[in-house]
Amino acid sequence: MSYFFQIVVSGIVVGSIYALAALGLVLVYKSSRVANFAHGQIIAAGAFITFFLTVRLGVPIFFSFLASMLITFFLAMSVERIFLRRLIGEPIISVIMVTIGLASIFDGLIYLTPFGSENFSFPTFLPTESIVVGGVSISWTQLVGVIITFVLIGCFSWFFKKSTVGISMRAVSDDQFGAMSVGISVPRVFALAWATAGLSAAAAGCIIGNITGLNFETLHAFGIVVFPVVILGGLDSILGAVVAGIIMGLIQQFASGYLDGNFGLNGTGDVMPYIILLIILLFKPHGLFGIHEIERV
Amino acid sequence: MSQNRWLATGNFFTSYKQEQRTFFTHLDRTIFTCFLVLLFGWPLVFEISNKYMLVLDNILIAIVAVMGLNLLLGFAGLISIGHAAFVGIGAYTVASVCQVIGENHVIVTHFWPVLIVCAGIMGAIFGAFVGLPALRLKHLYLAIATLSFQMIFEWFIQFMSFFNQGQTIYVGRAHWFTGQVGRSEHYLFWYYIILIIVVVLGFGVRNLLKTKYGRCLVAVRDNDRAADAMGMNPGLTKVYAFALAGFFAGVAGALHAYLYRGVGFDSFTLHHSVAYLAMAIVGGLGTLNGIFWGPVAIKYLDLQVEQFSELAGHYLTYAPNVATALKPLSFGLVIVLFLMYEPRGIANWWRIVKSYTKLWPFRY
Repeated sequence: MSYFFQIVVSGIVVGSIYALAALGLVLVYKSSRVANFAHGQIIAAGAFITFFLTVRLGVPIFFSFLASMLITFFLAMSVERIFLRRLIGEPIISVIMVTIGLASIFDGLIYLTPFGSENFSFPTFLPTESIVVGGVSISWTQLVGVIITFVLIGCFSWFFKKSTVGISMRAVSDDQFGAMSVGISVPRVFALAWATAGLSAAAAGCIIGNITGLNFETLHAFGIVVFPVVILGGLDSILGAVVAGIIMGLIQQFASGYLDGNFGLNGTGDVMPYIILLIILLFKPHGLFGIHEIERV
Repeated sequence: MSQNRWLATGNFFTSYKQEQRTFFTHLDRTIFTCFLVLLFGWPLVFEISNKYMLVLDNILIAIVAVMGLNLLLGFAGLISIGHAAFVGIGAYTVASVCQVIGENHVIVTHFWPVLIVCAGIMGAIFGAFVGLPALRLKHLYLAIATLSFQMIFEWFIQFMSFFNQGQTIYVGRAHWFTGQVGRSEHYLFWYYIILIIVVVLGFGVRNLLKTKYGRCLVAVRDNDRAADAMGMNPGLTKVYAFALAGFFAGVAGALHAYLYRGVGFDSFTLHHSVAYLAMAIVGGLGTLNGIFWGPVAIKYLDLQVEQFSELAGHYLTYAPNVATALKPLSFGLVIVLFLMYEPRGIANWWRIVKSYTKLWPFRY
């Protein structure tokens, strides 16, 4: 039974990271209807910036965490300003391909640095022994990561529900012309949405980096795995992203915990999200919390 | 009205028969024939090293694959981020035949045209199957559905021991009427075979677009509800577009298997799907000559970047492998710049040149 609870705990840990990573994708999609395929690369960039600041420049990890969030904030904002702003109103395939192209560019830039091909790990700043409760163990890094994730998600939800900027962002996602007519600058909201997405990506990157170690391949793979998450939750729902992230984390951990090695299967944890994605797309394309707006033939 | 059959400054069709012609003017036909003669004669006149012959073969295979993708994306307007998986299905059809009956069985070595067609049909079947979500999904959702097909394909190949866990499965050397195709003329032989296939399929696509089925694709792309109202069946058309794309991809995959004499999982990854998309976009979506320009441009860029990174490797010593860095960088830049400044692709340059020379020296 403790095996079961162990899987539940690790599923929640993985799931909360998915939730944070998916949050950025949902923010961008919600306001500007752009599916950002370069999100994984921004996550990786955030993680590497934190690592560089902490290890090479000796900045305390808390400050480098904040600094990397600030840097990716402006990085994502400039990406929107330089590349995506010109493509407003273009066909969807152009927009998708531009973000794929951007992912490729970021790949190239990160491969040019030593971070692209080596493994790193953050210096440990928390106690290394795990907490064991009733046979279920969780490491301090995981615990703190999950707590930070939920605090951040809480902050973002507050920001969207209560603050003026957040309300204007929701207005833009609801109706662009309506938002314009009450004096909201739509391009500025797009830029802000990208910027907050960059910020959350950096946070996700740091937490993943602390839990699993820094490896570019694993970090940018998150940019693809979040798609099943956001589709499950509904592409434009923040609550959906959080719930679906945790569901997906649990499904993945249960699949690799119970299916692998049992029926001659292995690696099911990697493929399960996509199978679920296909099933959802076939039966409930708008996800759990998404708005019904899919056209049908 | 007597017409100049060499040059036409406008559209002077008086019957449907005239509009159905493959070549509108004698000039078109002459240019096309010269181009074909050049492509066929080139390797006979010049001595091309195997390295560059392989690049040419690769370009031609990519053209076959992009033909399918351009039909799907450019003409039918359906986004697929899983095209490399279809190519992989073609290749793994050949590979699984090799696994069952042995890589040097007479079916593999002598009846390779049959196998190539079979691979195409296999690709079409899978294409139609993957196209089923297209009945309900559009745009981004469809893109993500095909993406998940790509990921499931990758996992499946790596998981099945029948497919050697994604490691190379060998395919025997093909035979021609004169006997086995030897090591020295292998690439040359496949250059001609693939060139013939490209020409045949190219004419096929050109003619398809003039038939009811081709026009259906375009109508569904432009507005599927209007197409429905006009008595077409949009759902069937979409599935059939996916099947067509799968067919072309399957043929390309089988050719890839024979050219490399082996099938490995790492030629059919997500990265390759993106590369096919880039080729289709750089060439020009929804155009016929874009099918040929795109792969040429992207593969040429790859070649140049490889040479450049050898040079740059001397200076950038701290970066572990400059080619792995510069390839995605240049590739991404090309995609982004084309989409921002020339979204209609290289085919548009061709169109501009053509319309300029048509009216020269007059202009409006």
